[in-house]
Amino acid sequence: MSIDHRMELRSANFTLEEERVALRDTFKMFLERECSSELVRAAEPLGFDEQLWSQLGKMGMVAMAVPTASGGDGAGLIEMVLVAEEMGRRAAPVPFAETVAAARLLAACGSAAASWCDAAVEGTKLITIALRPLRLGVPQLIAGGAVADAVVGLLDGEVVVVSGPLPLPHVTNHGQAPLGRLDIGAPGVTISPLASGASAVASFTTAVREWELLIAAAELGMAVTAREIATEFVTNRVAFGVPIATFQAMSHPIVDSYIGIIGGRRLVWQAAWFADHEPDAKRELIPMAFTYACRVAMAAATTGVHVQGGLGFTVESDMQFYFRRAKGWANVAGDPQDGLLAIADELYGPATSD
Amino acid sequence: MDFSIKDLDDDTLAFWHEVREWFDEVVTEDVHEEERRTGAGGNRKVHQALGKKGWIFPTWAVEDGGAGLDPFRASLISLELNLHKVPYSAGLSTTTLVAPALLQWWEGEIRREFTLGAARGEILFCLGYTEPDGGSDLASVRTRATRDGDEWVINGSKMFTTGAQNGDYAFSLIRSDPSLPKHRGLTMFMVPLRAPGVEIQAVHTMGGERTNAVFFDDVRVPDSLRVGPENQGWGVLHGPLNREHSMTEEGPKPLEEEAGVLSRARSPLTDSMDAVVAWARQPDHEGRRPINDPRIRARLAEIEMNFVAASLTPGPPGRVIRAETFIQDTANIVDLVGPDALISYGQPGAISDGIFEYAHRFAQGTAIYGGTTDVMRNMIAEKFLGMPRNRPLN
Repeated sequence: MSIDHRMELRSANFTLEEERVALRDTFKMFLERECSSELVRAAEPLGFDEQLWSQLGKMGMVAMAVPTASGGDGAGLIEMVLVAEEMGRRAAPVPFAETVAAARLLAACGSAAASWCDAAVEGTKLITIALRPLRLGVPQLIAGGAVADAVVGLLDGEVVVVSGPLPLPHVTNHGQAPLGRLDIGAPGVTISPLASGASAVASFTTAVREWELLIAAAELGMAVTAREIATEFVTNRVAFGVPIATFQAMSHPIVDSYIGIIGGRRLVWQAAWFADHEPDAKRELIPMAFTYACRVAMAAATTGVHVQGGLGFTVESDMQFYFRRAKGWANVAGDPQDGLLAIADELYGPATSD
Repeated sequence: MDFSIKDLDDDTLAFWHEVREWFDEVVTEDVHEEERRTGAGGNRKVHQALGKKGWIFPTWAVEDGGAGLDPFRASLISLELNLHKVPYSAGLSTTTLVAPALLQWWEGEIRREFTLGAARGEILFCLGYTEPDGGSDLASVRTRATRDGDEWVINGSKMFTTGAQNGDYAFSLIRSDPSLPKHRGLTMFMVPLRAPGVEIQAVHTMGGERTNAVFFDDVRVPDSLRVGPENQGWGVLHGPLNREHSMTEEGPKPLEEEAGVLSRARSPLTDSMDAVVAWARQPDHEGRRPINDPRIRARLAEIEMNFVAASLTPGPPGRVIRAETFIQDTANIVDLVGPDALISYGQPGAISDGIFEYAHRFAQGTAIYGGTTDVMRNMIAEKFLGMPRNRPLN
């Protein structure tokens, strides 16, 4: 019996297993305890807290994402998106998505990258990823570059590692993130090749996709907190004699944030599941999750700032953490709307000239 | 978490095959043509045929008029029903919303008669909630029921009683005691639509659907057709309304998870999406295929992204975003195809049977009927986010 491809029957089980709930809750409770608003604020403008980074390293944040054959704990992307959402919820000042994507890329590069991979797993080096191919004469903003000991990237079709001089000088930015500009033509830059050929390029592309997926989860985490702060504020704030939540102009945009979050989360989970289990199927899901989550988070944070009125516009409000980072964390890789073109490539095949 | 392809055994595959063949046979082009002409949202012949198979309530026991199927096999029936575009909105869906309330509130012979009749496709129920003066504020009902011995006398009118022209009973919320507070003076009745004093007037929608205004003029209804206790109609309404809103006591429950099946449900939107991709793959007047234009690619991808995200969104939030995505996506498709997208079914030059302009019109109703997206947002704000109620209780 022939079955239309759109009709293939798949399970639709979004229930998290106990171990996954436990993993998520471990990070959730740790971050609630250790990553307070005060800590996030104190880490600005660099956007990095060394102690938090080292504690997360001890919890195996990077190591868990690396395959066991490369010395890691072999967790999948499903586990990592759960952790990433918690990072987003607390606006954790650590370059987790970049370091996780870099470590997995290093693991995929085999023996030539083994010492770098070991350093990432053991936490002796903070290794980030250049999200766009490196080019001579085109300096690139590197997420985590201002705190990195090494940057892994793609240069002329080869996966390479840039090992110095690092960290890069910090560039103050919208997302209060540890960005630095890497100019591979600058004097003293050390670049070592790790892997070449089609598989190296494919590994790099996969790593960027994985970064997008983790950021998507983090963006939703930011949206969650922005939505919670907004809900609490409009429920308690009284104007014209009533809680302002009773005005639909206040409540409905917050409801929209909630709607975007719960759908976006399922999109992220499904994208993670397919990347882990059937990486060649439904490849459009990661760019979908990324573009969608970025929209949801930006809308939730914009709404959050707005419903708090003037207060949301002050630096005293935690809402501004989420507003700034929702844009800053994602846009370091380029326009989040470019995900649409990636979706089209997966669904319709590459564009050809007629 | 699991999204793997379901490994169906030979028995289940054979059953699926049987179901598909049955629908291929029963849902003829005539059925679609009649639906296009009447917009009835239902087809009596198909409905009765479904009833004979026990497929209106496929999980009910055979002796109760069902087919005794497990939820997964029942979901295969829903799937084929959807893929074959069986008109269901005004008959099948309303009957399945109402029957569980009768099981809950009635006993004895009448319970058996109505539920068995419904399951066999011999009796159709429709919903009589909305009135000309009130839609979203359901409890503002003004239609009156006055007790007269063992009977009630009903006067007033109902609006958007979709399916009434083909239905047998309207599950109607009626004011039985105007002296009581708004939500407490209401009683639920199964009002027989063929009774003397019932007048049904057609109302046609922009989406091509036929609905009705129903007028009650001294309609006499036996007390045996009362559903639930007198003056407690608001509570009786709760069950069917929650089912309609995809809402459960615990909160949102994604429908697709009940049977654990993920599939791409067919709708005028998905038909429109399939048609626009097919259109984009064809060369235009200058021999260029729109699918190669980055602008078109991005827009098609956005439509698909919004659709997939909305489809995955569970519960009442899913209802809101699916309706609004439906509206936005169909509008975007009309825009990107250009003037030819405006040509209606049956006209020269219509693309894919005029699906684009039809879907665009049809979409608007999805954000209104069964609870507007605004009412749904109020409900989400209160029940899911714990915000204070934004309107007076009475």
